[in-house]
Amino acid sequence: MNKSIEEETQVIYSDPNQFNENKHSTEFIIEVQDLKKSFNGIKAVDGISLRVRKGELFSLLGPNGAGKSTTIRMLTTVLKPTNGKARIKDYSLIKEKNKIKPLIGVCPQENVIFEALTAEDNVEFVGRMHGMDPADIKKRTTTLLEKMNIAGRKKPAKSFSGGMKRRLNLIMSLIHQPQILFLDEPSAGLDPQARRLVWDFIKDLKNSGVTIILTTHDMLEADALSDHIAIMDHGKIIAFGTLEELKRSSHNGNILEFSFSSREELIQAKNKLKQIDNVKKITEMENNKLIISFTGGVKTLKREILREVEFFKTLHFREDSLEDIFLELTGRGLRD
Amino acid sequence: MNTIDIKAWYIAKKNVKEKLKNLGSMFWTIAFPIMMLIVYKLAFSESGDYMINGLTTFDVEFPGIVVYTIGMSTVTSAVMFSMSKKDGTLERIDAMPVSRGNVFLGAVLSETIFMNLQLILVFAFGYGVLGAHFELAMMPLGYLIAMIYGVAAIGLGLIIASFLNSPEGANGFAMLTHMSFMFVSGSFFPLDNVSVFFTPQYYVKQVYLQLTVVGDSFSDLMYSGTIITPTSEATFFPIWGGILMILAFTAIFIILGVKIFQKKTIH
Repeated sequence: MNKSIEEETQVIYSDPNQFNENKHSTEFIIEVQDLKKSFNGIKAVDGISLRVRKGELFSLLGPNGAGKSTTIRMLTTVLKPTNGKARIKDYSLIKEKNKIKPLIGVCPQENVIFEALTAEDNVEFVGRMHGMDPADIKKRTTTLLEKMNIAGRKKPAKSFSGGMKRRLNLIMSLIHQPQILFLDEPSAGLDPQARRLVWDFIKDLKNSGVTIILTTHDMLEADALSDHIAIMDHGKIIAFGTLEELKRSSHNGNILEFSFSSREELIQAKNKLKQIDNVKKITEMENNKLIISFTGGVKTLKREILREVEFFKTLHFREDSLEDIFLELTGRGLRD
Repeated sequence: MNTIDIKAWYIAKKNVKEKLKNLGSMFWTIAFPIMMLIVYKLAFSESGDYMINGLTTFDVEFPGIVVYTIGMSTVTSAVMFSMSKKDGTLERIDAMPVSRGNVFLGAVLSETIFMNLQLILVFAFGYGVLGAHFELAMMPLGYLIAMIYGVAAIGLGLIIASFLNSPEGANGFAMLTHMSFMFVSGSFFPLDNVSVFFTPQYYVKQVYLQLTVVGDSFSDLMYSGTIITPTSEATFFPIWGGILMILAFTAIFIILGVKIFQKKTIH
């Protein structure tokens, strides 16, 4: 039996006593329970609980300000949680953060690089901070820079394009071969070609066994890369599951976008659509557009909807997307 | 992870590389003191300006330039730390297996490397080219005191960086602080005011002056109790008292700097 989004979310941690900060789980590499963070009384993260399996790619999806980056900053030990417990691999996030640091790699949302240094110097510095052998650093730096198409550049990183800086930012989080990689909006601001390069790189990393936690507000990215997705809003996880599970548990079904020549036509169509049982939701948009969600797939479209509404200007039929699921759950779009 | 290890040295190396590529920083730390030396030489080396013991005003004011040069570490360290807060590099380092102790020591090491470079240049130019008077035997002690004051200047920069997130703001405020201290301490021009005693620069200049310009015997200097005051030759306390004050200011600035910076940046 399929579980609803709410049920799935509950499954992550249904029993508060289930979490044992000191007990090692072989299945889950990250376990978080009721993690909270407030800044001057404002709740940035409001009691999230989640589990991440070894070797999976787990996405935190949500709009700006949802609490994704704060969650990442807590899990990467740079922010102290206000409340809650978490365990990364065998170690408590609160008590043993120094043992966690060597295991993780962090690619921040902004390009956090040393602008005056060359790409090689930047990567070498991170390797040194992780106590790597100089020969290993050199070898791995060359491999990674070549893979990301920024090898052989002797100029300071400040002269790099935005895309190159972004890729260098990613390489710096990988030099020490972390077991867990945190990627905060890894492809933000990249052109489609560079984004594809980064996505392929992330997929390769995942295939090599690295556990990846990714935050994004880009549903395509979450869709293309994730094993599991947690949707965050206002500091809470409001839905969790695989993409298929999320779609299945969503009440949207299929989506149809109509546009009309006039407002009169739109009103007329809206009234007719209201009469159809399979039409679950009608949302009026700007520019004489209607978005409707309905069940029954193409059959309903052909036999019921198009029979009633023949006077549209354009029609776009698509499957339910993460954006629609998010809209359903929160009443607002991912980019709001 | 609170330990200090070889990583401090790698941080220092990285800082030096970054600084060498910052032309603005190089101007204020290297070129500007040299320019000031030339201006002072031109302004205060006329024969009518003799002050004491046959020394020109330039000879007596030269230690002030040394104090200014080393004190620039207030500005450079304030900019460095506030920049690391703003651009996220501090947080990036925090997520690595590196202690804050290493970060602070790395900064002190890199600044010390530059202070040595500055002092060598200022000494070579001031003593070698412009002919400022000096006592060779006392020079190492004077050098050491200048370096200790440099650490105090880094501590002051750290305090400023704790409160200011933008490097531009930190640069402006640190420069204002440094220059105010320079004038209030009488380091640029003698000042007959009790405020001088509340500045480390005053003690550095006076002890340095006594050691390197008029000193001729270490034991005499330590126990004879002659520090030249801003406006007269009256005796207030022995040299070792001045040295203690420099050490006290250094300890206070560094401890406060580290404590406040930690408090403001660890959330």
